[in-house]
Amino acid sequence: MPQFMLLLYDDPSEWMKVSPEEMQKAIEKYRAWTQKPFTKGSNRLADEPGRVIRSENGKPRATDGPYSETKEILGGYYLIEAADYDAAVALALDHPHLEYGGTLEVRQLWGPPAAS
Amino acid sequence: MSEPAVLIEHLFRRQAGKMVAHLTRLLGPARLDLAEEAVQDTMVRALQGWPFQGIPPNPEAWLFRVAHNAAIDAIRRRRETAEFVEAAAAPDLPDPDDQLRDDELRMVFLCCHPEIPRDAAVALSLKTVGGFSVREIARAFLADDAAIAQRLVRAKRLIRERGITLELPSAPDLEARLDAVLDVLYFIFNEGYAAHEGDALIRHDLCGEALRLARLVAASSLNHPRVDALVALMALQAARTPARVDALGNLVLLDDQDRALWDQRLIAMGFHHFDRSMTGDAVSAYHVEAAIAATHVRGPDWPVVLELYDDLLKLKPSPVVALNRAVAVAKVHGAEAGLAALPESAKLANYYLYLAVRGHLLAELGRSDEAIDAFRAALERPCSEPERRFLERKCAALRSR
Repeated sequence: MPQFMLLLYDDPSEWMKVSPEEMQKAIEKYRAWTQKPFTKGSNRLADEPGRVIRSENGKPRATDGPYSETKEILGGYYLIEAADYDAAVALALDHPHLEYGGTLEVRQLWGPPAAS
Repeated sequence: MSEPAVLIEHLFRRQAGKMVAHLTRLLGPARLDLAEEAVQDTMVRALQGWPFQGIPPNPEAWLFRVAHNAAIDAIRRRRETAEFVEAAAAPDLPDPDDQLRDDELRMVFLCCHPEIPRDAAVALSLKTVGGFSVREIARAFLADDAAIAQRLVRAKRLIRERGITLELPSAPDLEARLDAVLDVLYFIFNEGYAAHEGDALIRHDLCGEALRLARLVAASSLNHPRVDALVALMALQAARTPARVDALGNLVLLDDQDRALWDQRLIAMGFHHFDRSMTGDAVSAYHVEAAIAATHVRGPDWPVVLELYDDLLKLKPSPVVALNRAVAVAKVHGAEAGLAALPESAKLANYYLYLAVRGHLLAELGRSDEAIDAFRAALERPCSEPERRFLERKCAALRSR
């Protein structure tokens, strides 16, 4: 079965406006998704901007993460199984991240071409 | 894999209130904003971690520890004095329960300080002690977010400018402080109970929160018979809530309510506090209102209720009390007398309940056309869906006569 990454982007400052009651509900919903039968893995990235390493004139150089300028940052992922892109997107439409104003990027993991 | 832990209902909201109270004691009321920010930040961290790493074995302790550290970090970032940070870092975590209850009590008295206008005090109490968000408060009060945010800013500015502390009142100003607290709590309760419009669930939470805070005051050393009276009043009224709306969401009047649906636990709580409220000599309006609620729960006894409304009108002469008294007059002496007892007040002429009561009495007297006019006027005022349907049914029944 093909595997897909759901990459979760959001603006962490938006969460500062969500009520405690709603926050608790969100925890339950995000957690429920980690336990779906098609979910093969999931994790969350810490909010700090991280580091980016680029090669400048042949020399690698680390700088602060790419997110200082942008509002939405990559915050976590779910790894799911689905028959194809359409099926993966159909599953992802139900993800709570969308309800809370986040963005989902769906990317298929590379696999050997289907033998048919 | 073991069964995943489940979070207790409303844990975050309740915990938010406790943590803000705890941090405000450590940081001082002038830094209330910082306390709130640290708590919100903590909840965001829980949201980020818990779905993936699992809920910690003791979620309350986890939240407390993280909020505490977040507050200290924020203080350090602001480069506040070292002694202060040490003082804040000192106590063991989480606080013992009685310390926490004391923190919350102090927060209630801070939020409901007589120098803070009531609308601002209501918003601040719900936000800080209740753990409601600006949007939830706005929805409950049919206000916009900006108006509620403005009230909160105003309340916090007053706290800073007037140097209002977390000190609990002592004898000389206890009376005034206590009255302000009870006034705010009763207002919150009524907003939840009257259900004009808006989100039903949040309004239910308002009643629960007002009752919880009133009980907190009643359980403290600041208790006074009129606090018990208020707790009794709230509990006895709230006990009837499950029977006020039927399975179809339609309004059910007191005389037609299924008593089996009344909440026995709240009734027991109500009578317990009602008995305790009898210990002093002074009779407050809360005492009389609690007596009315108790009479309704014990069984229909409208002559007693009417006497109590006569007393209440003397203690609290308001058009709304007079309106309620007129209902009791009608029950005891008939619709004609009830109609005559309806107060004349420009304020009431636009009040949904006044128009509805007038319509009922006119309908009972067979004055159908006037009754329909009154119901129509009532329907133009803000009211809840069940109330609206109730009046529409009444109108339809009158027309088909």
